[in-house]
Amino acid sequence: MHGHLPFVRHPEHENFLEEDWLYEAITETYVPLISVFEGLVRDNIDFRITMTLSPTLISMLSDQLLQERYLKHINKLIELSEKEMERTKWQEDFRRLAEMYFHKFSYARDTFQKYNNNLVYAFKKFQDLGKLEIITCGATHGFFPLMDVCRESVRAQVKVAADHYESVFGRRPSGIWLPECGFCPGHDEILREAGIRYFFTDSHGLLHGTPRPKYGVFAPVYCKGTGVAAFGRDLESSKQVWSSIEGYPGDYNYREFYRDVGFDLEFDYIKPYIHPDGVRINTGIKYYRITGTGNHKQPYVADWARDRAAEHAGNFMFNRQKQAGYLNELMGKPPIIISPYDAELFGHWWYEGPMWLDFLFRKVACDQKEIRMITPSEYLAENPRNQVITPSFSSWGYKGYSEMWLQGTNDWIYRHLHTASGRMSELTRSYPRAQGLLRRALNQALRELLLAQSSDWAFILGTGTHTSYAVRRTKDHLLRFNRIYEDIKSNSINENWLSDIEYKDNLFPNIDYQVHQ
Amino acid sequence: MKILRKIKDKLKKIVPSRLGSLKAKKKKASAKSPAACVTTKDIPGFQETIAVNTKFSHPEDTRPRSSMPNELPVSYDQDKIVLQVRDPRWLHTYWELRNQTIEGLKSSLGDEFYRAKKILRVYDVTNIIFNGSNANSFFDIQYNDFATSWYIDTAGPGRSWCVDLGLMLIDGRFITILRSNVVSTPLDGPSWITDEEWMIPEDVFARLYGMGFGLGKSSPVGGAWQQRLKQGLFSSGVSSSPVRKAVKERSFWMKVDCELIVYGATEPDAKVTVQGQPINLRPDGTFTLRYYLPDSKQVIPVKAVSADKLEERTITPIVTRETR
Repeated sequence: MHGHLPFVRHPEHENFLEEDWLYEAITETYVPLISVFEGLVRDNIDFRITMTLSPTLISMLSDQLLQERYLKHINKLIELSEKEMERTKWQEDFRRLAEMYFHKFSYARDTFQKYNNNLVYAFKKFQDLGKLEIITCGATHGFFPLMDVCRESVRAQVKVAADHYESVFGRRPSGIWLPECGFCPGHDEILREAGIRYFFTDSHGLLHGTPRPKYGVFAPVYCKGTGVAAFGRDLESSKQVWSSIEGYPGDYNYREFYRDVGFDLEFDYIKPYIHPDGVRINTGIKYYRITGTGNHKQPYVADWARDRAAEHAGNFMFNRQKQAGYLNELMGKPPIIISPYDAELFGHWWYEGPMWLDFLFRKVACDQKEIRMITPSEYLAENPRNQVITPSFSSWGYKGYSEMWLQGTNDWIYRHLHTASGRMSELTRSYPRAQGLLRRALNQALRELLLAQSSDWAFILGTGTHTSYAVRRTKDHLLRFNRIYEDIKSNSINENWLSDIEYKDNLFPNIDYQVHQ
Repeated sequence: MKILRKIKDKLKKIVPSRLGSLKAKKKKASAKSPAACVTTKDIPGFQETIAVNTKFSHPEDTRPRSSMPNELPVSYDQDKIVLQVRDPRWLHTYWELRNQTIEGLKSSLGDEFYRAKKILRVYDVTNIIFNGSNANSFFDIQYNDFATSWYIDTAGPGRSWCVDLGLMLIDGRFITILRSNVVSTPLDGPSWITDEEWMIPEDVFARLYGMGFGLGKSSPVGGAWQQRLKQGLFSSGVSSSPVRKAVKERSFWMKVDCELIVYGATEPDAKVTVQGQPINLRPDGTFTLRYYLPDSKQVIPVKAVSADKLEERTITPIVTRETR
């Protein structure tokens, strides 16, 4: 499971719309997942899951300002759900749902506070228990294939991430989720340097590798020359969960994402809970089930949705048993099936996702003996002998390569990003042992470069809607980088200004600019 | 604009014998007239950025505005061409030329400069160490004066490529101005290379291949990749949804609904119930309740009891909603 959000933190604004991405993900995805893990441990159910916590996500979850803002956010939601319980008094169906949200939000706040407002501790706990394997990601989720012409930046993305991981979890990461699953032959060398033992590719990364992978995506391979292992994504299991047409989340009994009280209710009533400018937004209180393909929606019935989630978990397990059985015969050895998903699919987009996962873990542990869950590290320990190939360039983005991040709407960014990468390398070479203010400036230059490289901005530009924030972020970080570069070159670093952007873009406190080489 | 450009471009292969030797002339000095480069309005999002400036700009005013520009430079005063892979078939290249490089060409070529065609020469350099004249083959693309980037259709998965930015003179001579890095396009199907130690029968591999793409056990290898693309299942990023949204059947619509506000006041220390349930008063003794009002008749007794429990008042609004 891939947990990532871009770094969005704006201390200079009281309310900032895009910060809601984090708050929604905490309430709807991270807390529900933690709650599932807690329940499994409590009931002594053995389970395994591998999960990315991207360095930007960890940085935001650990940030005090954002933690305080989350508490404010969740308190407002609790207040709204209380009002909703009263408002829906004469509508039994809705009143029960308002209560559900009241409990859900209160639980989110309690869980958040139980872990000292830092959910990273919660995930760490399950890693320390051996149930959850947390892997790292690019420092800011830069899309590596489009940084191939400046591999120093790929190296900085990997090293900053691995060092950050170590400072948080007290050990080196064994694996990495390459941002957007973007792999270029040769980058495995950079992973090896950072001590990373495995990564994932989309199916064609392995299937189109050279020489042919004997077992397709159903066994990992070692990269030629480096020995870093690559696991390939299985699309059959992906499809069952992810497909917007035939996937589980489209079931008519599941909650409809697109009907939210933020849009549905009378303006004056809802105004305190939407954007202060009066822009209506999703609040998270959604009363309807998908119902059908049309616009008419019926109220959500929690019990029905729960039954469907249990059924779907059973179906998923049944299909994996069949798949594994068949593959076992074909391959002459047990296959491994890699089913990666964006974490935010679970709970945020697919409300019942965490519940489905809970049923799945329990069923796999208790109801059968044909398949089991395993982490990549465990698999490699049990199966150290694997084929050596060179996986193919690939990603899990639209059409499988770079097009999502390299098209008419976003290709303009690369001349700036690559020039900045070149300049960063130049700075690293020119000032090998900087101290004091110069060192701060060099470190901040690297932070700004990394932030500009987030694939999220190019992605949003690629979708072509609501692009202004992504344009602004790309430009802001590049402009800040360029100014630091020029200030350093002209020996005129302005400490006030530097302190200001250190305060704004405050992630990776222990960053060392010398990794960019 | 750039999308049109990439579609519009159809590649011409030019017979190598017509071209004479490849000469690489680089960087000469001075004369006049500015280089062709992107104007600010060509940068996507620029107009929009101006509109949202007030919302998203973060004033960093410890330094005069002029030294912290709001827009990125259009160029970085460098001679550079970069080549990137978009997918098994397409490459992307962008470039930048210093004014003095262009002026140098003008002064050394004179009139010929203005009559020369602006050319991207795309070399197939698969399995060779390219020295400028040993390419397996090449083709030329004529680009327009204002372009600073181009999408190149190589139609060649699994090969290596290098691009020269140059000029084609009237007499057929090609002059290289800049040479790109070398890139390799990935295969768009399984490799033909197998290794002995990890051999597998063709039919078994075919089944594993199809299954890896989620196409079941009997999907043929040829076409599997195209099939896989049709399935979607690509990552959806932070802001876009993997969940399907119902489409509006028609564009015109209307919604009407009713809520009821019940409000009142009493002594601040009184106990008040509405339909038998206690409610909280504001410090000044006022209260407001808001209910969704379904089609129904609602009898709403509001009862206040004084703090010393000696007095009470009950007022009962009766409300009927009927929607036609």
